[in-house]
Amino acid sequence: MRRWRYFGYRLAFALPVVFGILVLNFFLIQLAPGDAASVLAGESGAASPEYTAMLREKFGLDRPLLEQFLAYIGNAVQFNLGYSFRNDSPVFELILARLGPTLLLMLTAFGAALTLGTALGVLAAVARNSWRDALISVVTLICYATPVFWLGLMLIVVFSVNLNWLPTSGFENIAEGYEGWERWVDIGRHLIMPGTALGLFYLALYTRVMRASMLEQTGMDYVTTARAKGQTERKIVFGHMLRNAFLPVLTMAGVQAGNLIGGSVVVETVFGWPGLGTLAFNALQSRDLNLLLGIFFISASLVVIINLVVELLTITLDPRIQA
Amino acid sequence: MSGIPTPHLSRRALLLASAAMAVTAPPAAEAQTSRPGGTPTPVPGGTMVMIVNPEPATLATYAVSAGNIPPITTQIYEGLLTYDWDLKPQPLLAKSWTVSPDGKTITFKLQEGVTFHNGAAFTSADVAYSFMEIAKKVNPNGPVILRELEAVETPDAMTAVFKLANPAPYLMMSLSSNNIPIICKSVFEDTVPMQNPSANRPIGTGPFKFAAWERGQFVRLDKNDKYWKPGLPLLNRIIARFIPDAATRSAALETGEAHYAAYSAVNAADIKRMQANPILGSTTRGYGTTAATSVLEFNMRRPHLAKKEVRQAICYAIDRQFIVDNILYGFGKPAVGPLSSVFSTSGWFTADVRRFDVPNRLEIANKLLDDAGYPRGANGVRFGLHLEINSFGEQWLRQGEYLKQALAQIGINLTLRSEDTATWLRRCYTDYDFDINEPFYSAGADPVIGVHRHYVSSAIRQGTTFVNNKDYRSPVVDKLMDDATRELDPKKRADLYHAAQKQMVEDSPGAWLAEVQYVTIFNKKLHDHTMGPLGTYEAFSRAWLER
Repeated sequence: MRRWRYFGYRLAFALPVVFGILVLNFFLIQLAPGDAASVLAGESGAASPEYTAMLREKFGLDRPLLEQFLAYIGNAVQFNLGYSFRNDSPVFELILARLGPTLLLMLTAFGAALTLGTALGVLAAVARNSWRDALISVVTLICYATPVFWLGLMLIVVFSVNLNWLPTSGFENIAEGYEGWERWVDIGRHLIMPGTALGLFYLALYTRVMRASMLEQTGMDYVTTARAKGQTERKIVFGHMLRNAFLPVLTMAGVQAGNLIGGSVVVETVFGWPGLGTLAFNALQSRDLNLLLGIFFISASLVVIINLVVELLTITLDPRIQA
Repeated sequence: MSGIPTPHLSRRALLLASAAMAVTAPPAAEAQTSRPGGTPTPVPGGTMVMIVNPEPATLATYAVSAGNIPPITTQIYEGLLTYDWDLKPQPLLAKSWTVSPDGKTITFKLQEGVTFHNGAAFTSADVAYSFMEIAKKVNPNGPVILRELEAVETPDAMTAVFKLANPAPYLMMSLSSNNIPIICKSVFEDTVPMQNPSANRPIGTGPFKFAAWERGQFVRLDKNDKYWKPGLPLLNRIIARFIPDAATRSAALETGEAHYAAYSAVNAADIKRMQANPILGSTTRGYGTTAATSVLEFNMRRPHLAKKEVRQAICYAIDRQFIVDNILYGFGKPAVGPLSSVFSTSGWFTADVRRFDVPNRLEIANKLLDDAGYPRGANGVRFGLHLEINSFGEQWLRQGEYLKQALAQIGINLTLRSEDTATWLRRCYTDYDFDINEPFYSAGADPVIGVHRHYVSSAIRQGTTFVNNKDYRSPVVDKLMDDATRELDPKKRADLYHAAQKQMVEDSPGAWLAEVQYVTIFNKKLHDHTMGPLGTYEAFSRAWLER
């Protein structure tokens, strides 16, 4: 019961955060020079002033800023994210189409990095200063230091161009028109390389944090106590230490969930993955205010939700925290 | 078109490349499906995958003229005319036409038995609506191309009569599927054109029908079984894929995942590698109506640049061949003036202008600056200027870096400024807060379409992009270009353009750097894809895939 009250308190705290992000973003983007109408007109080659004025009127860009702001907030409160005039499509539809692939890529990369990273970290800590520890350290260091875009391109060169095992890019093979189970296998094949490129950096990070955290626990009184009462090493590591050592990794993962949405622009670009990152980048480039704010709203909400889940996990793992 | 970054190919490089291919190509490769003459026999069916870059924001080609839209929409919408390799008009939706002697009446006879993808029959009413209500009102190029068009009369369902206020010789050069697409009147009537439901689900008369658009991934087009040209198209399906990263686009061509990439979808740096790949071919044909030129624009409102000597000195300081060889990887040739040498076939181009590529050009440039009253300071610098870097690709930054060195030779300290597209456009075309700008233009099939607006004083329109932002006001050039707009006699029109080019090069409101040559990369299994000067701005109705 107390746990849920604490959770409710965190939830109540999250709503003003999302609102604050909305307000801040709205005014921040107004500071960028140029607007959607001028970009669209620019891409058209030579547009008449009437054409640009017509676009501006259509987009509502000729109205006072305060009026635009109130209209936007009014819509956002009703979960109406507005219309992207540049894309001739409702913002919600545009985001929804990208949300699935983004979450698929993100959760795969994140989940794999978290599980594998934890396992490797424990392995390294248990066999401290052995050849296994050294090997894991060297591999994680390389993963950590490799730029994601370079890794992505190298994966394509090796596995697509030279070996011809995996498709270079995209979400699925449309030319073949797969259906049902075959389609999911196809999507999975497209997912391997971007997932690897995105996940390896985080894998390295979690391995190192987990290792350090495990070593820190080794000297704790409760470990000595457990060992004194004759518990097996296996029980000590998995029954006692793992749970405590996992907390810093979990906290870090919660903070980085936001990075994973924003940081995947590079991976999405290299692999032509239809994600939210590139959508946001293009929206910014073309000053598509409605779309950009919509994405901010959705990704801010996602980060807040993930943090709430992490919070919930944390207090489950360590009930002392909710006090 | 200005929205697309570059590359390109010199005639010499092309000859070498094709010679090399002729030697190395295995003769057995094409033998399997050969017709007696040695040309392979077309087979119907198959899915062609082309790369379009970047992904269009909209498919409303009738209202937005960005260069990345027509590769998709010209499969769906058709225009009245198409053009042969000599840029002579050929029938498409118009079966035949006559121009009255005074040039003010053009009568089009239309193709019979044509239907739109929604089943509606194509008639002269659709033509009239497409020109008067759509193109003239919402097409950004409408005010220029259709300025003289006063009415489209429809005496019967298969005849459309264009009434012009003044002769407009360029109009017949601007009626292709990518210039003025013919839309279905019943779909658009009583709607706001840009919010029409068919904006992103286009309905036309073309060989392919719109099927789906997954944003960030692809547009799918399916064969139009009821296409009016019998037996066409041959392909079952076209997929236009969008891959943001240039290296990945090249990889997709190398693995055979994609069959076709036009314009600058493939990085200039990768083209040589692609040309060496045995499964890929390349061509520089199909860019006949592009006439793309990279230029510098001088802001003549600024005190230094208001002086003709300074502008000419900058023109002298630049080694255009260096730009072609090193920035464009050899895919282009040096420009000599505001008209591309593409216009030499029509006789409008002349190289008989003030030439900046003389051996003692640096000497002349330094003397011009000395005479203009800008002596070198203690550190060798006369004065400083800013260069606004074109935001449409990395090659423009490299060009800027070269220009900085080139201008340092004559004592001008150039500072480079890189901004994103919206900021860059605003600075150069709305705020006029720039010294030198480095944009890139397509002239189109006629100088009226894409050249006049950069130099005539009536095109100084604050807030409009890619027009005369230089504050260049020359009554001589204004008059010459205005006369050329109406002159029907080709010889007289050529004389007018020659005089205009001489005057403009002498005034140097800008510097003309390089004529850019694009390269199309294709899989050798794809045949009959580049069938005319419009290249990728024309439907792949005859294209077919070897299997």
